[in-house]
Amino acid sequence: MNDWLLIDGARRLLGETCTHEAVQAAERDGWSASIWDALSASGYSELAGIEPGDALAVLRVAGEHAAPVPLAEATLAGWLLGEAIEGPVSVLAPDGAGELSLEDGLLSGTARRVPWGRAVDRVVAVIDGQAVLIRTAVATSLERRTNLAGEPRDTLVFDRAPVERAKPPACELMERGALTRVALMAGALGAMARLTVRYAAERRQFGRPIAGFQAVQQHLVSLAQDASLVAMAAERAARARTFFEIAAAKQLASRAALTATRAAHQVHGAMGMTQEYPLHHLSRRLWAWRSEYGDEQLWAGRLGAAVARAGADSLYPAIAGGSTVI
Amino acid sequence: MLFTPHDLTDAELELQREVREFLAAELPRGTFRPALGMGAPRDRAFSGKLAERGWIGMALPARYGGHDRSAVDRFVVSEELLRWGAPLGHHWVADRQTGPTINRFGSEEQKRRFLPAICRGELSFAIGMSEPEAGSDLAAVRTRASRVDGGWVVNGTKVWTSGAHESDWFVVLCRTGDAPEDRHAGLSQLIVDLRCDGLTIRPIPFLSGHRDFNEVVLEDVYVPDELVLGEIGGGWAQNTSELAHERGGPERWLSSYLLLEELMRWRPELFGAERGGLVLGAAVARLWAMRRLSLSVARMIDSGEAPAVQSALVKEMATRFEQDLVVSLQELIALEPVSDGDSLFERLLFEAVLSGPSFTIRGGTNEILRSVAAKGLSAL
Repeated sequence: MNDWLLIDGARRLLGETCTHEAVQAAERDGWSASIWDALSASGYSELAGIEPGDALAVLRVAGEHAAPVPLAEATLAGWLLGEAIEGPVSVLAPDGAGELSLEDGLLSGTARRVPWGRAVDRVVAVIDGQAVLIRTAVATSLERRTNLAGEPRDTLVFDRAPVERAKPPACELMERGALTRVALMAGALGAMARLTVRYAAERRQFGRPIAGFQAVQQHLVSLAQDASLVAMAAERAARARTFFEIAAAKQLASRAALTATRAAHQVHGAMGMTQEYPLHHLSRRLWAWRSEYGDEQLWAGRLGAAVARAGADSLYPAIAGGSTVI
Repeated sequence: MLFTPHDLTDAELELQREVREFLAAELPRGTFRPALGMGAPRDRAFSGKLAERGWIGMALPARYGGHDRSAVDRFVVSEELLRWGAPLGHHWVADRQTGPTINRFGSEEQKRRFLPAICRGELSFAIGMSEPEAGSDLAAVRTRASRVDGGWVVNGTKVWTSGAHESDWFVVLCRTGDAPEDRHAGLSQLIVDLRCDGLTIRPIPFLSGHRDFNEVVLEDVYVPDELVLGEIGGGWAQNTSELAHERGGPERWLSSYLLLEELMRWRPELFGAERGGLVLGAAVARLWAMRRLSLSVARMIDSGEAPAVQSALVKEMATRFEQDLVVSLQELIALEPVSDGDSLFERLLFEAVLSGPSFTIRGGTNEILRSVAAKGLSAL
């Protein structure tokens, strides 16, 4: 059972801080100290210390509000190291760590797509089976890049930089990373569906709300289906935290990121293509999160391979029982 | 939030295990011709065996021969039967919708008369909703019941009546009122004997030549007052409630499932390769999550809610998936379906291609379901 006080608190706090203007400003500036500080002050930067299902429920709320802060990274970093880490901290996804090497506690090479690399104090990376913690200040160079949502995904270069910690990771990075993205995406999809249903009820053309047109209703229904399917998958994955559920949920969420954004944008017409209307905070994040920690193809392949190995007789038991079977 | 997450309880998992054991013993793979979902053949003896186990009319009251169990228990049983391809055609409609509808709206006498026989797996029902001029627009039904001494005389034509020639009774949605200004208020439901005088059943063969559909013509058919189901004039509301049972269940996502399982059995190497793995993984993810939405609908029925919007969302999405799966598998394996193929997969594919278009039509077209669902989206 989730800790509703904690989740309601996050909803209130994120609702107050992540306004359209604040999210816009965070994109412009590459960081929002005010949102991060407000979350830290209320303890939300230390989600790794609470029950993981509750932490994921908070991340889902962060996704609803398109929170432009490394809340998922802070949680993931704590999970990997098994301890709380002071200050804003980021996590390097596996596909951005391929050019790093660790020798005698010294880190060398290029870290790619570091979430908020320019703004965080530290980064956790998993290299050669070790979770290492390193200060961003020791990087020899930093190149600013962004993902589709305009969130920092920077390139950092290290040259025999001493790491602060190196120990076996306390969880599997790819799966746990995917789990954080599933939570964010479930939140964003739900918010996008609500925003779009509301817009269709308010926007009038031909003398009536566009929600009255069957062709528009079709988009609203497919959006609601995607949001419901991913919400259901995310909830189960957050409780199970096992391969089958995570793989299935990320596969569905990443797939929905393509289909649901398409439907939502079609309903919004030209208005949805503008910076002044908030749809893009959600749709661009969904496109970015779709790829992070494996897209729908990667997870379909992994899940399919596991199910194929189990064989035809196990197929339905797996569909019904998930990780209790596979 | 439209759907609340639920898991099966330990008792429900135990039931699932019992049904699996029963099927493995009663209908071992390779000893029968599995069917694609609810279009399964009729087998009175098999329905009788299920009834002996207490698996028909599960959610009906024990005093009428039922088992005081839940819609979720019924979900568990029908899910296993469907995915096994079991011959559930004889009891399917009575168990899914007619039994619950009679239990909810029927008279004491009707409950005593019909429910025990349904629960024994004896009585088979068909559905008397569609007409030549009333398909998706069900309120346009023209079949009329006129008042006579002690009952009603019915005239009209029903179409697409699956299994009318093999069933015992059907529930007829008809017009009893004269108020043309309100299309809904004048509708009623009657329980009609498919063997009675004045009733003619003519086959409407499927495009494959298969017989299932019928046209049922009612000419001065006498229906006594005691076979009026629920209230005169209450037909529309009763019918809508019945449709909530007809939508959103496992039969809406399992129609083509066996193709996948059988292709894995016949050509496992396809799924060890990359392309097959992708198709398999994507299908499994979707089936897993849709099943959980469908389970949530069954729980809502158990808690007395009428999840019309949720059922429509699930059915619309899931039936499209059923068709998509057939397409994905056809693209995975270059094979022109021929009748009486050598493998079970080939035979099922032949059937699935020919019956596939019906998945998104039967029980309410997807276009109508979208309209139903769109009305409830403010609850997102």
